[in-house]
Amino acid sequence: MALLELISVTASYGAVDALNAVSLRVEEGEIVTLLGANGAGKTTTLRTISGLMKPRSGSIRFLGKEIAGASANSIVRLGLSHVPEGRRIFPGLTVRENILLGSSNRSRVPKAELDRDLDAAFGIFPDILKFADAPGWTLSGGQQQMVAVARGLMARPKLLMLDEPSLGLAPIIVQQVFRTIAAIRERGTTVLLVEQNAHMALSIADRGYVLETGRLIVEGPPATLLNNEEVRAAYLGGRVTAG
Amino acid sequence: MSITLQLLFTGLGIGSIYALVALGFVLIYRATNVVNFAQGDFSMIGAFLMVVFAVDMGLPYWLSAVIAIAAMAGFGILFNYGVYYPLRHRTFLPVVISTIGASILLQNGVLAAYGPHPQSLPAMLPFPGIAVGGVFLDSQYLLILAVTGAMVVLQYLFFERTMLGKKLQATSQDKEMASLLGIPVALMIGITFAYSAVLGGLAGILVAPLLFVSINMGSTIALKAFAASIIGGFGDVTGAIVGGLALGVVETFGAAYISVPYKDGFAFLVLFLFLMVRPQGVFGEKVAEKA
Ligand SMILES: Nc1ncnc2c1ncn2[C@@H]1O[C@H](COP(=O)(O)OP(=O)(O)O)[C@@H](O)[C@H]1O
Ligand SMILES: [Mg+2]
Repeated sequence: MALLELISVTASYGAVDALNAVSLRVEEGEIVTLLGANGAGKTTTLRTISGLMKPRSGSIRFLGKEIAGASANSIVRLGLSHVPEGRRIFPGLTVRENILLGSSNRSRVPKAELDRDLDAAFGIFPDILKFADAPGWTLSGGQQQMVAVARGLMARPKLLMLDEPSLGLAPIIVQQVFRTIAAIRERGTTVLLVEQNAHMALSIADRGYVLETGRLIVEGPPATLLNNEEVRAAYLGGRVTAG
Repeated sequence: MSITLQLLFTGLGIGSIYALVALGFVLIYRATNVVNFAQGDFSMIGAFLMVVFAVDMGLPYWLSAVIAIAAMAGFGILFNYGVYYPLRHRTFLPVVISTIGASILLQNGVLAAYGPHPQSLPAMLPFPGIAVGGVFLDSQYLLILAVTGAMVVLQYLFFERTMLGKKLQATSQDKEMASLLGIPVALMIGITFAYSAVLGGLAGILVAPLLFVSINMGSTIALKAFAASIIGGFGDVTGAIVGGLALGVVETFGAAYISVPYKDGFAFLVLFLFLMVRPQGVFGEKVAEKA
């Protein structure tokens, strides 16, 4: 049984269809990446999975349970954590408070356990430890991204969904973020990674899907996607000219 | 010198009332992005509940106050579900109109029950006050200052030191993100309404012995409190407290040294000056967005 499975999911903004019969699955322990150009529907896919949007039709199963149309609140309680586009750090709360609130989906966690998880989060992102008591808005984009991922991990998710974690970051920080994502999977958390940076994403993913104007056009392991002509043309820069 | 201290004492006392109501405005505004035009009526309802329990039913004063405050918390939750919740996905205007409608309904409901004649409440403490130096400290004003001071401290501890306080703050800063983390947003907003109703009710209960208890007593207080929150920096908690106290002091000195009939005018003169010179208020725009 797949950890997450979408079967023919359709979603729209008013009369405009944003997702058209999207079917995909994520197995336990995988890093799966969802690629596509700006406006392809990647963010809409994640928002529909995490309950911020209701699908118009189709089925979404997490741990075998139907979650299509359930509230965001109840979905994160099942262990599905969504780190949204744009990081969305609470600007007026400190870094520590931001990260601690990531545990809001777990009920009655003992203080000692929270402290351990907080230490573990700072262990993954040692660079933000020195800003623990600084308000969220004072951090740089890269630091905010680390806080956002750390906050997502505080949910102890079975599946962590990341929406363009590399957006707007300096190349060296991007590498660091991707190394961390690989390390998070090593610790046993399954990852669904939305990216425009296809090369980077495919370097750590087990499988990938490519979305184009709301439809999935290809799926497969990184090698398949890297060699697919359509994908190369659209997302990897440069068509392989035959002959 | 003693006259200055006397006016300062009185001004801070009345300013505390504005501060409590202004805090209610600000907390609801931060949680919902809506200005609650029935905020002053929370004070009116609180004062009338005191009339019901302490005068009509003859319960002890302290017990009446405890019941009235508990009832205000329940009232805030009902207000949330009746006035805000059904319109929560709508824009600013429908919700504001809904709160104006609630205000009219509340005032006329109490009018139907109690008629147009103002009620009065005796002072709460059994002594008139104490004289310190040349300054007479009226017992009701002392009570107002003590209760407001305690509320400010409790509120600070609650918002800054408890996880629930942090969840309320998170909800007011980004509702969608809060729900993604598993914070029950609707419950947080319900709690905010309950607490704001308690603050407003408390202001009404405390000020009632100084004024008559009438159906429109909340309107003047709310106007001053609204002005106070703009002077402080709308949406800022510290600003609401400082703005409320400052406004109370300004209008008390203005009434004493310039003109009693224009007492209410000074508040709006200060508001006008702020809107001209520093529209973001004293504490406005502390939080900026960074990439
Ligand atoms: N709030 C919205 N209202 C209307 N249309 C939207 C909204 N958000 C996204 N869209 C549209 O839905 C499509 C998919 O957008 P999105 O999921 O954000 O794409 P991506 O994340 O791949 O860049 C785009 O055509 C976009 O214009
Ligand atoms: Mg997107």
